[in-house]
This record gives sequence, structure tokens and C-alpha cells, in this order.
Amino acid sequence: MSTNNYEPRIVVFACNWCSYAAIDLAGTSRKLYPPNVRVIRVMCSGRVDPQFVLEAFKNGADGVIVAGCRPPSDCHYINGNIKALRRFTLFKRLLEELGIEKERFRLEWISAAEADKWVRVVNEMLEELRRLGPLKAEAVSV
Amino acid sequence: MIQEPRVGVFICHCGHNIAAKVDVKQVADYAKTLPNVIVSHHYVFMCSTVGQELIREEIKKHNLNRVVVAACSPSMHEPTFRTAIESAGLNKYLLEMANIREHCSWAHSDKEAATEKAKDLVRMAVAKASLLEPLEEEEFPVSPTVLVLGGGVAGMRAAIDLAEWGFNVYLVEKNPTLGGRAALTGWLTNNRRGADVVNNLINKIVDNKNIHVFTNAELVEFSGFPGNFKAKIKVNPRFVNEKCILCGECEIECPIEVSNEYQYGLSRRKAIFFPFKAAYPPIYVIDQRVCIKCGECVKACQYGAINLAEQSLTLDLNVGAIVIATGYDPYHPPKGEYAYGLHNNIITLFQLERLLDEDGPTQGKLIIGGAVPKRIAFILCVGSRNTTPSSKNYCSRMCCTSTLINAIKIKEKYPDIDVYVLYQDINTYGNDETLYEQAGEKLVKFIKFEKPPTVDISPEGIVIDVYETTIQEEISIPVDALVLSVGMVPRRDQNELIATTRASCGEDGFIREVHLKLNPVEAPTHGIFLAGAVTGPKNIIESIRAGSAAASKVATLLSEGKVRTEPFTANVNEERCSGCRICVGLCPYKAISLREINDRMVAYVERALCMGCGTCSAACPSGAMQQYGFKDIQIMAQVVAATGGGIK
Repeated sequence: MSTNNYEPRIVVFACNWCSYAAIDLAGTSRKLYPPNVRVIRVMCSGRVDPQFVLEAFKNGADGVIVAGCRPPSDCHYINGNIKALRRFTLFKRLLEELGIEKERFRLEWISAAEADKWVRVVNEMLEELRRLGPLKAEAVSV
Repeated sequence: MIQEPRVGVFICHCGHNIAAKVDVKQVADYAKTLPNVIVSHHYVFMCSTVGQELIREEIKKHNLNRVVVAACSPSMHEPTFRTAIESAGLNKYLLEMANIREHCSWAHSDKEAATEKAKDLVRMAVAKASLLEPLEEEEFPVSPTVLVLGGGVAGMRAAIDLAEWGFNVYLVEKNPTLGGRAALTGWLTNNRRGADVVNNLINKIVDNKNIHVFTNAELVEFSGFPGNFKAKIKVNPRFVNEKCILCGECEIECPIEVSNEYQYGLSRRKAIFFPFKAAYPPIYVIDQRVCIKCGECVKACQYGAINLAEQSLTLDLNVGAIVIATGYDPYHPPKGEYAYGLHNNIITLFQLERLLDEDGPTQGKLIIGGAVPKRIAFILCVGSRNTTPSSKNYCSRMCCTSTLINAIKIKEKYPDIDVYVLYQDINTYGNDETLYEQAGEKLVKFIKFEKPPTVDISPEGIVIDVYETTIQEEISIPVDALVLSVGMVPRRDQNELIATTRASCGEDGFIREVHLKLNPVEAPTHGIFLAGAVTGPKNIIESIRAGSAAASKVATLLSEGKVRTEPFTANVNEERCSGCRICVGLCPYKAISLREINDRMVAYVERALCMGCGTCSAACPSGAMQQYGFKDIQIMAQVVAATGGGIK
């Protein structure tokens, strides 16, 4: 794949209650954004095992977003978002050790009303990924 | 044992909603090439009777054991398709949806790219579907008791309807009286007042033994699941008991005086007070935020009705459902918006309604700044429709009608007053349209603007400058009083409610319903229902209607006597579990404990307590803890498929 027509692929884990609903709302409100994202629905951002994220990078994702309800208290399951926050704060540091630029991973809080934020996050990340180029294969061969 | 997957893929056009941006035939052809896919179809409306019948027929014809529907968001039609495959003999959890409408056709403009994405979404769904297992729902008995939060018209109507059906209702109101904002709304159409409507509802509540009213009370904790919620209610002390006969002696002696919120600040009240004439319960109350406990009221009370040592009490309720009917706040203009706060004769519509009400601070006389104004103007859309920087973008629905009712009332009482209504558009919808004609007949002067008017305070008084778009001229109107027809905004304390109940708010800041048209009185969390202006601007009639609608939805849930819960709970593979206890501490519901199996301590999930967040599964180091419907292998399969699965 040449860098000229490089289309980054972003895998998204979205919680059912806030972020998945915000992505629905973006569609319902016809807020257009680039089609480079593939969304996987989970019940809570606290369900996202860091291994899922590594697996995505290993299989060719250029970026990964984990999206959940706004802290501290929007979480449908009391504090699953806080658990995600704790896990992925650590995980980000590990990513860099693996040679994966930290910009390739984002943990985002997107409430059910924030369709605009979703569109902004996708655009920002795409811009970042285009700047970075494709993920180097050796980074994820571990 | 899981059968060899035989997947059927059904792709919906949703009329043009999907088909205009996604080449559905191409997606259907592509689906046929995917592993485990036996058959693939596309059809104009998969959710229609014909579409569902197609799915059922294909399941039987090809002996399908997994179904993928690529259509709208699962929040829309997942239940529809689950029922459809169930009626064809499949377990309803053997369905996976690919969201190719909200997440694809509606969000992307390029048909080729959208089609490619739709193929990916179908591939992801097929990958997960191939690994789905049949799941069983659990059945629980329901508590035939309902908690209604908010004693305004919507909450009262819901409580009455539910009580008449025989449900036990706890009606919990934060303020010391039932009635809500409608009780303070002055004149409505047909020469009735908000207080009359409220009185009527209160009388029905007083007569009904199934309704337990708690005023001065609030919800402080909420947990559980539909049919079996646990609600903790804190009842704040009123300090006055039923011996009170409303003689008012206490009020005379009370030394503390504050602004009276029940007259929107137009008059003052004491720390011990009675909110308004029709207030219920008919007992005085002490405002504990301002009371200094001097004891003067106790001395004045001949009936021994006052106890300053009264403490708050807590109630633990087991309720089957909850109706949130906590209402709205009036928009409060910032100081200087249309000169609000700069001149005593600039008031809000809510204040004007109090002035024109016989039970108001002027007994219905239009006295503003000590005199009856000769010229009065209304400015519409204050706080609504983006008229000023701090305005909301929505229309508040009730202000046009309410403005015209009050403008007509002024003209009836004081024919010589000049009344001006400055407006962008007049939205007196439905039967209220006749008010516009009546106001015209009574010579209310309508002034149309596109650019919001400016208001200046001069030594002579209030001057409004506006470009009138009908006559296309700049005009200047000096008035003695100005009424800002303010709209409705979410309650200031709404965030506390969201934190307690896990309701969520929409783009406008009001509490969000599942779907404005399809499920207008249901919150996204099953078992939580919404009524009245808590979901957005509504007039009194609409709020009462919403109260009845919510009540009927609650009845539908509870009348069966049992509920089924979604089976996406956690489950332990006891052989793999090392008993490390990581999951025990993570579970927000205390659903996991350790128990001994074959001389080893292993995790045990109490299924009735598990809400299905899956955070234990994410943290389990040995993969022993798995969430049904969201197992590691199922999500991993989606991940691999999402990234191209080696065929990128």
C-alpha cells in the first residue's frame, strides 16, 4: 500500500449507553465524518480488555479508540469508565514501550448527546494517523 | 455443544435511507462469500411484516442457526428481529445486527466508501454471529410498587393512573408541596388557572389509598433492575405536623424574611410559611436553609404543631419501576439581557402570571413598580431559538400561547393599556391559534422582528428599539413595563438526578428518551420512565398526557407479575479460575464472591445481582470469567474482522 492513498483504519470500542448512542446520534443528525472507523459495541468501556486493543493493532488497525461515558458519574454501571481509565492510563505507557506511538490510541468520553464530539475525535485522529503513516509491522510482531 | 454455524444475512434498504448510500446488492453478494454464510438477501424494509416473514422462511428452508441483520441501530429494531427469529424456532440471542444506517449510510457521503464500510460491518457481524450461543433469560417476580419522582402535573397524573390500576405508588416531591410549576402558572385557556388543574389532581390523590405522598423528600440512592429496584428516599424535616390548622400565627412571629420563590420573587415570605393557597399537604413548613431556630413560632403555635427538633428520616423502598417527572426550570436571563435586572419594571412571563393570578401577590391587579403601566410590551423567544448568545436553540412551545393568554387578560381587565408583542414567529399551534385572532381583535399590537430588539433604560423609562420587518422600518417604543417571555430549561439540580438514576441527557440538556417518536416516555435504562417537561419543553396538557402515557408503560411492564432480564451476565469457568479475587473487588454490584468447589476457592457470580457490564471479564487474568454475549472470543472475532482479518 503506497502512502499516497493511505487510508487509516480505526477500530472503535464504544459503550452501549453513551458513546454508541452518540455515534447513532451523529448518523441520525446526518453529521458527516470520514468512513475510516469500525465500531464494536460493548456494554461498558470497562469491558474492554487491553488485549483487544493489542489484537486490533496486530491485525492491521492504524488507530484504536475506546469510548465510554463521561466520568465521574455518567457510567451506566456506576464506575466502569473509571476502571477503563485506570487500565488504559497504564496501557498507554506500555504501548510506547512496544513501539506504538501513543497518538494511535485514544480513550475518549463521549456522552449520548455528544455527536459533535464524536465527529471531532474521528477527524482529529485521522489527521494524526495520516501524519504518522501506517503502523510499522515490527512494532506489533511481539 | 455449539452447532456448526449456518448464518443467514439479511440486508435492509430502509427505503432509500440505506440504499441511497450503500450498494445493498453488492453487500449481499459479498456476504455470500463469507465463511459460514449459507444465504444472503436484501430487501426494501426488513422490519416490515414481509421482511420478517422472509427471515423466518429462510431460517426454516436452509436450517439456519445464526442470523445477521444489517439495518438500523440495534437500539431501534434489535427487539423486533429477536422476536422474528424466535418465532422461527431459534433462540433469540442468535441474532447479530450490523448497524449500516446510523453508523454508515447516514454518516458518510461517498457511496463507494460507504459500501465498503457496510461490507466490513457485515463481515464483523458474521464473525461474531458464528460464535454466538443460545442464551436464556432469567425470570424474576416484580414488585407491584412504583416510585414517582416529582409532584407536578405529570407526576400526579402518572401516580393517579397507576393507583387506579391498583399499583402501590410512592409519590416523592422535593418541595414542601405538591403542584409543581403548574400551580404557579396563572391563566390558561377557557378561563381556568394552573392552580385549578392542580387542585383537581390533588383531590384525586388525597382520595386514593394506593398513593403515599412524601413531600420535602428526595431520592438519594437507586439500584437494582426492572421489577426490583431499591430506592432510598430521604424525607427532610418539615418541623410542622398535622396538628397545624393554617391559622398563620407562627408566620406573624417569625423574624426571618426571604424572597418568596412561590411568587417568583415578587413578594417576601417568612422562614415558616405556607407555599400557596392550594398547597398539599395543608400544613405550614419551616425552610431549614434559613431558619435560626429562635423558637418564636413554637411559642405562637397554640396547637403544639411545631417541633424544631424533628430529624430527617430515610425510607428504603422496593419498587418495580420509577417514573421521573421532575420538570424544568424557567430560563433565567443573565443580567443585562434585554436590560433584565437593570430596571424593576422588567419582569419575566412567569412573574406576570403571578401578578394576574387572584392568588398572587397583587390579588390579580397588574401592578408593576407600584403602578398600573399604561404601556406594556412582551418580547418573545427570550432564552429560546438562538435569539441571544445565552439562548437555547430549541423552541420552548408554551411561551407564545402563554404570552397571548396574558396579553388578552390584560386587555380584558385594562382595555386602555397599550399592549405590544414583539415576536420572531407566533407558534400558537393547534386550537390555541384562535388566541392570535382574539388578541388582534382586542388590539394587541404585534411587532415582528428578525434581529432581536434592543432595550435601553433612559430617565424616562424603558425604550425598545426594533426593526419591524413587516413595515421595514426602525421603530422605537417607550413602555412602562416589559415582560420577557422566557422559555424552559433543564433543572439546575438535574445532574444530581442523573448521577442517582443513571438517566442521561440529550443534546438540549433535557433527560433523553429512548426514541422521540417510538418510545417517548421510556429512558434508555429499562424500568425507568419519563413524564412531562423533564424530557423537554411541554405545556400543561402535554405534560399530563405524558404522565398518563408513562403510567400505561409502567403498567405494561409490571402487570405481567414477572420480568425477564437480558442474559448478558458474567459466568465463571471454574476449572480455569485461580481464585485470585481480582473480579470480586471490581464488581460494582457485589455480585461476585468466592466459594469452594472441589477443595478450591473459585469465583461465583450471583446472576440476579450481575448487571452485565463485563468489567470482571476484562480484568480476569486467566480468561475464566466470561460475559455471555460479549465473550473474549466473540469480541476478538469482531476485532480481526474489523481490521480486514488478513484480507485487507
